[in-house]
Amino acid sequence: MNTPAIPLIDIRGLTHRYLPGTPLETKSLCGIDLQVHAGETVGIVGPTGSGKSTLLQHMNGLLQPQQGDVRVNGLSLADPSVDMRLIRQRIGLVFQNPEDQLFERYAGDDVAYGPRNLGLPADQVRERVRLAMEMVGLPFAYKDRLIAELSHGQKRRLALAGVLALEPQVLLLDEPTAGLDPQGRRELLQVLRQWRAKAGRAMVLASHNMEDIAELATRVYVLVAGCIVFHGSPRELFAHHEMLVQHSLAVPAATEVMHALRQYGYPVSTDVLSMEEAVNEIKGLLHVQTN
Amino acid sequence: MIRAEEPLIRVEGLHYTYQAGTPKPIPALRGIDLTIQAGEYVAVIGANGSGKSTLLRHFNALLLPTAGNVWVTKWNTRDTVHLRDIRSTVAMVFQVPDDQIVASVVEEDVAFGPENLGVPEDELHQRVDWALAAVGLTELRYRASRLLSSGQKQRLAIAAALAMQPRCLVLDEATAMLDPAGQIQVREILHQLHQEGMTIISATHNMAEAVQAQRVVVLSEGRIAIQGDPRFVFAQEETLHALQLDVPYPTRMARMLATVIRDFPTDVLTVTELAEAISMHLGQPLEPRPKPTTGVR
Amino acid sequence: MSRRTEFEFLGRVTIGQYLPTGSTLHRLDPRTKLLVCLLLIAVVVASQSLLGIMLLLGAVLVGLALAHIPLSFALSGLRTMLPYLLLLALLQTFAIPQYAANATVLWRWAMLTITDRSILAGILLIARFSVMVLGLSLFSFSTTTTELTHGIEHLLRPWQKLGLPAHELALTVNIALRFVPIIAEEAERLMKAQASRGADFGRGRNFIQRTRKLLPLLVPLFLVSLRRADNLIEAMEARCYLGGKGRTHLIHLQAHVADYIALAAACALMALVIGLSTANADQLLWRLLSTYL
Repeated sequence: MNTPAIPLIDIRGLTHRYLPGTPLETKSLCGIDLQVHAGETVGIVGPTGSGKSTLLQHMNGLLQPQQGDVRVNGLSLADPSVDMRLIRQRIGLVFQNPEDQLFERYAGDDVAYGPRNLGLPADQVRERVRLAMEMVGLPFAYKDRLIAELSHGQKRRLALAGVLALEPQVLLLDEPTAGLDPQGRRELLQVLRQWRAKAGRAMVLASHNMEDIAELATRVYVLVAGCIVFHGSPRELFAHHEMLVQHSLAVPAATEVMHALRQYGYPVSTDVLSMEEAVNEIKGLLHVQTN
Repeated sequence: MIRAEEPLIRVEGLHYTYQAGTPKPIPALRGIDLTIQAGEYVAVIGANGSGKSTLLRHFNALLLPTAGNVWVTKWNTRDTVHLRDIRSTVAMVFQVPDDQIVASVVEEDVAFGPENLGVPEDELHQRVDWALAAVGLTELRYRASRLLSSGQKQRLAIAAALAMQPRCLVLDEATAMLDPAGQIQVREILHQLHQEGMTIISATHNMAEAVQAQRVVVLSEGRIAIQGDPRFVFAQEETLHALQLDVPYPTRMARMLATVIRDFPTDVLTVTELAEAISMHLGQPLEPRPKPTTGVR
Repeated sequence: MSRRTEFEFLGRVTIGQYLPTGSTLHRLDPRTKLLVCLLLIAVVVASQSLLGIMLLLGAVLVGLALAHIPLSFALSGLRTMLPYLLLLALLQTFAIPQYAANATVLWRWAMLTITDRSILAGILLIARFSVMVLGLSLFSFSTTTTELTHGIEHLLRPWQKLGLPAHELALTVNIALRFVPIIAEEAERLMKAQASRGADFGRGRNFIQRTRKLLPLLVPLFLVSLRRADNLIEAMEARCYLGGKGRTHLIHLQAHVADYIALAAACALMALVIGLSTANADQLLWRLLSTYL
């Protein structure tokens, strides 16, 4: 029996306008309602330009809404007495492009940036850097490497380590696996699964990679042109095939295979999320038919 | 099948080293031999750092070999006199949509290439019209280029390349920064262009793209590891895994099914082929599958 | 009430923004607008007559109205500059020994003097800047960057035969202008990334403190810009760009009657302002007013 707890992030009626009060004003988010509870991984799905990144930036106070309210642990971010730096320690945002968030020369310095800003003593900073780097699978010895010499995949991990070093409660991720090769992606997802396993943590994942959503998300919101058009579990989302096609969104490959088989007239269920489930469906079909 | 005519691009013993002659040289290509015939569609795949981008930049003389030779039709790429000929025969599209837009208005960006070639003005208009139509951007011709979506920007980049009337289009991970809808649009344009006779060379991470090529070249650490038609290359699952690459999703599914179902074909490349394989297995063939051809090592 | 965080600064800069209102001013040939703009700047700097400058200010405001630009928006750009303008004007009023000659001293304390001339100088400064800022804003509101670069290139083309790299200059201007918002976005992203890890950009008791906090952005921003420039160069080379020589052009500008009328009107106005300045119209007006008051 779930006791209703205060959501870690509570967004009500969020409306955001770009360049408000000028003749160039455009609406980028229209009346968003969204909650994130401890233990959840909330997926935000939508085409590029739908407002996913803007929405994430409201969650850690980088942007303020023109209407509506964003609350973190019950505290409203619009309250001027709220310490934004504390909020940003609790809610860690990892940006889409590692190049946008790595600005030191040496890898170790960059991971240390966050803990240093928190005013921690040097030995604690060092410990946090070590733990964070280990968590993402980078050897601590890499701390003396030049960031310019790291591969794209290593830079991504480093950027994540930089945020993990703050020991946040909620992790916001913007397209975390973009540009990674298949092995890099698998390893990163594993890191995220290990991180969120600890009690009291939550994750928000903005992505147009449906495989990531299928593997990690417990609940999904679909954002199109700044408005939420769907909210439900990943399974429910992928069952709404026509809606996904209508908004030019991708479908995970497993589900796509099932839909294709149905078009050929085979009575398979399209309620699959992973390759294992799809293969089981097909096995069932073949056994039934060959009997 | 041996063609009598000369190849469009010929690469012999290509070596390339970044920062050659400095204390820290970085070898990127270590001996590549490759021939590309006119009208081929070649996909180049490989892990990050395998040399894909470096190789592609030799095809239009953006890079010159440290050792070895590259010929585009009859011109050696070191030939500075024919640089314009080379670059208007082999046109290139890059990964970052924003960083290849020159002009602020769509039709002017498309015209940039032919303007540089000194194409006479009435023909300029024709070329721009034709290139925009080929990528489906005609209604957006007067739009500010920065207001396009990333998928549209890449289509603009393709149009800008097409306006030079090249014989070959080279794409360096052109869909890597696009959302799935954008990726599908570009893939379809490439397919259409190839049907109309364009030679296409595309470096990609996207297996659905690689599968629609006629030949797949797999790079690893600056050398060609495997090449052949997609069916041949993607049958070598262990080798590909060792190179940190994956096989297409339907292929993986077919392999998984083959472990529990006797005689289930594993050389499936697309969802359609998977569905056909299933229907054949049930004794209800829908369409004959294309016969696999042998690969070239 | 629009709450804006310290990261949304694009909304506060008005120079460089384009507002498509479809007015007749927008449809003028960019060469006309360029020439009028240059003329305006030259005249407003040269004119010594406050009356003349006020006339120009009135003309610019009329221009803004003709272009259907909301006045509040146009003035908001001026508002952000106001503190610095006042500071400069104040400096003018206090310093400048050249105004001491045959001027009535109104106040003196140690090294600082205020004369009637120096007050006039301060007011002239504010007036001149306002005309320039509003004039340039009007120009950018009504001209796209494409039109601007075509205008520049067409005006410079006759000199191309003498070796002036007209196309290269125009292209440089075009690309620089096009990348201003892109680089601004990058800066914004970098700031947000640093703020997300605890950096503090908003608070800072004064302008100097806030500016110093921007320093860690400079190197990454520079590196990112260089990388993008490299990419763009590659793309241009791949499309056979080898300089302006031998290029043909898709776009040709066409001047219409409206352009000639606008140019003629502008010339007449500028002539009037110069006339007022040379004829010392201010002093005449001042004497006229003092006899009646």
